[in-house]
Amino acid sequence: MFYQSRLRSITLILALGFLAAYASFGSYFAREIVIEITILAILAISLDFCAGFGGMVSLCHGAIMGISAYAFTIMSVKLGLPSVPSAMIGLMAAVVFSGLVGWVTARTSGIFFIMATLAFGQMAYTFFFKSRWLGGDDGMGGIDRFDLSWLGVDMNDALVFALFGIAVLLLVYVIAAILLRSGFGRILSGIHSNENRMQAVGINTANHKAIAMAASGLMAGIAGILAAQHTLYISPELLIWTVSGEVLLVVILGGIGTLIGPVVGAIMLVMLKHELSNYTDYWHMIVGMVLIFAVLAGGRGIFGQIEYWLITRHPPKAPHLPPAKEKDLA
Amino acid sequence: MDASFWLLQFLNAMQYSMLLFLLSIGLTVIFGLMHFVNLAHASLYMLGAYFGISVSALTGQFWLAFILSPIIVTLIGAILYFTLIDRMRAAGPMNQVLVTFGLIFVILDLVRLGWGDIALGLDAPDALAHTVSFWGISYPAYRLFIIALGLTIMISMWVVLARTQIGAMIRASVENADMAASLGIHVGRLFFVVFCFGCALAGLAGVAAAPIFSATTTMGITILIPTLIVVVIGGLGSLEGAIAGSLIIGFLETFGAVLLPSLSAVLTYILLAVILVLRPQGLIPARG
Amino acid sequence: MLEVKHLSKDYGGITVIRDLSFTVNAGERRVILGPNGAGKTTLFHLLTGVEKASSGSITFAGNNISKMNAVERARVGIARSYQKNNLFEHLTIRENLMLAAAAATGKSRWFFRDVTNQADMKTRIEETAEQVALTDQLDMMVSAVSYGNRRQLEVGLALATRPALLLMDEPTSGVGPAMIDTFHQLLETLPRDITILIIEHDMDLAFSIADHITVLNFGEKVFEGTPEDTRGNPSVRQIYLGNGDETYGASNDHA
Repeated sequence: MFYQSRLRSITLILALGFLAAYASFGSYFAREIVIEITILAILAISLDFCAGFGGMVSLCHGAIMGISAYAFTIMSVKLGLPSVPSAMIGLMAAVVFSGLVGWVTARTSGIFFIMATLAFGQMAYTFFFKSRWLGGDDGMGGIDRFDLSWLGVDMNDALVFALFGIAVLLLVYVIAAILLRSGFGRILSGIHSNENRMQAVGINTANHKAIAMAASGLMAGIAGILAAQHTLYISPELLIWTVSGEVLLVVILGGIGTLIGPVVGAIMLVMLKHELSNYTDYWHMIVGMVLIFAVLAGGRGIFGQIEYWLITRHPPKAPHLPPAKEKDLA
Repeated sequence: MDASFWLLQFLNAMQYSMLLFLLSIGLTVIFGLMHFVNLAHASLYMLGAYFGISVSALTGQFWLAFILSPIIVTLIGAILYFTLIDRMRAAGPMNQVLVTFGLIFVILDLVRLGWGDIALGLDAPDALAHTVSFWGISYPAYRLFIIALGLTIMISMWVVLARTQIGAMIRASVENADMAASLGIHVGRLFFVVFCFGCALAGLAGVAAAPIFSATTTMGITILIPTLIVVVIGGLGSLEGAIAGSLIIGFLETFGAVLLPSLSAVLTYILLAVILVLRPQGLIPARG
Repeated sequence: MLEVKHLSKDYGGITVIRDLSFTVNAGERRVILGPNGAGKTTLFHLLTGVEKASSGSITFAGNNISKMNAVERARVGIARSYQKNNLFEHLTIRENLMLAAAAATGKSRWFFRDVTNQADMKTRIEETAEQVALTDQLDMMVSAVSYGNRRQLEVGLALATRPALLLMDEPTSGVGPAMIDTFHQLLETLPRDITILIIEHDMDLAFSIADHITVLNFGEKVFEGTPEDTRGNPSVRQIYLGNGDETYGASNDHA
């Protein structure tokens, strides 16, 4: 069950502060890295929302992000709509797709849920990959960023865009935290803990899980709009299942079921990747080993493990330790 | 589209189905027995191809590579079993997916380190390097060999599972491992043997595929998804399911590509989605 | 309050409940007795809608609920506690009760409002905790409390939904004599606006709280009457009490 503890608030402020400082005082390249981190962090929050709190380990979050990016680009580039309504339609597409996936898969669990989401994600990937009208595997370009000139800033400036990304990340974190603290979010945690009992006290758990997937899709959709505006170009690569796998890796690395852990994980992974790629062409191997180690070490992740240490040393009035091992997934 | 066209497509579909079968049978039996989801199974397939190419290059003997490569892959599988797989067995599907996802990355980069990023080819052995003409078509002998190999393994596995003592032990353990253990079956040893056998088949599929597709660093990830789909469609843990699933996917993808090119790419995924919704246990589920 | 007519359930030819009819009045405490395999737990599955009856009807508070699913029946006020603990294991007792209370008050559709600090929720959680004598353990994790406390919480989860009809499946299953006393008190202090059906193997407890007793054997009703009549009935003694030992004690009935 989610609590915005003081430790989590401090970590959030430190993480966002670090990103803002890194973007402000760093080079153009550092600003690009910050954008990349914010996109991955938003996607990871979105996945933690459904996997860490709802037990739905999705392998189609890359696809949800991609669908939003494609819908946004179709509207703005192909049909010439202004960028804000296009973005709204992009988000709607993501919500509809993830809600549908959630509704269809609501009665499956464990490995079947993972496989089903993998299949739906790959279906979307293949669709865009084969679609000539949408550029096939070449993708589409010609995307414009939001026009914020009325605020006196130019979004094509890397620093402005990086700070915009950080603001959006904060917004998504707040949305997720509010949803998880609400009656809806509490009951989602209850379903994760014991779906059968939740039905016995009168909750239609299948509908509840589908709505949770749709909400998660909204957040993944936001990442998609940001991704499209970041590179100004989209391709089916966004939707491929290994992207979803990497997001899951970020969630595990930071700490599943902690909400702030995924932000920490995204910072670590992107930094690690860029540092490693300076030295070696084989950074995938190191990332893979880190992932294996993270799971073997108990699966709490970096933030999760630190939080666990602090809580077991100074137990608060209402302990809310994330479970060490997953449950209800088998 | 005359008869020879259909025959050609039929043989292509059979050959693809057999490769899928060799991969999926190991994956499905390992899942059925140990409840372990090994995403890195397809990486072993890739290793099979690369080791086959190296052994063949070093010795000039295709058939030696054909035998040695699965053995090397099995040894690697055994190492993985003792370092990772065995201790992840009780950890739940998500952790298994994560650890083996990590393994895919590690093996991928190890292959790039060892063999580089360029696609490597392997020549079919001289005895099979020609084409065979029959019923108005000519077809590479090596591909016919793959079909024959797959069918032979399929039939012998069916016989082993249905008729022999070890087959009975495996089936009993798939149905209920605790019960099997109480009947005196050494379940741990059985798991290990079956896991190694699954690895050997993956290695064999890799070296067998190398002359047709040539070895690339993406070959593992590319075949992983269809293999998983075969396993889920057929029913996790079921031999008959793996046979049915590989034939369905092999034929659907091959004929879909020629008959409905615009739809073919998503046909498989639509089928999987429909089956997961209507019959999540798969077409021919393992009992238990 | 609850009217069961000609209820039957069979699983592929094996009849577990056969032509069962009985009526429970509002506020009544009805004890269901019967040996292992008599169909008691199956009856609860049919009443809560977890399983569908093969034939017959169930009327609750004047409405035919036979066609309703489990979730709908929970919403009209039927709650149940389980013979085997079925709790939210990794949460605190307060969170457990909060989940049941939030579910029953329609707060699953509160997307933006926090429920944990709502005044009505707090009152309900504390009231329920008092009813099941868990006030002192409210902030402990379920995994950290005793088995007896978990049995209390098992009933508490059902009570937190403020049911009109409460089905209790062997609340004292597996607990010691001291805890049986706790349950005795708990049952006696529950308000009479809750109608209770209870499967209970502890004879002293069953006979002292029951207004009426229904005895099942092989899925059929063999007797129904007051505790005194039940005690004196020879056929009940024969099939259920058998050796005349009235303190049959707790068992692990999975009927």
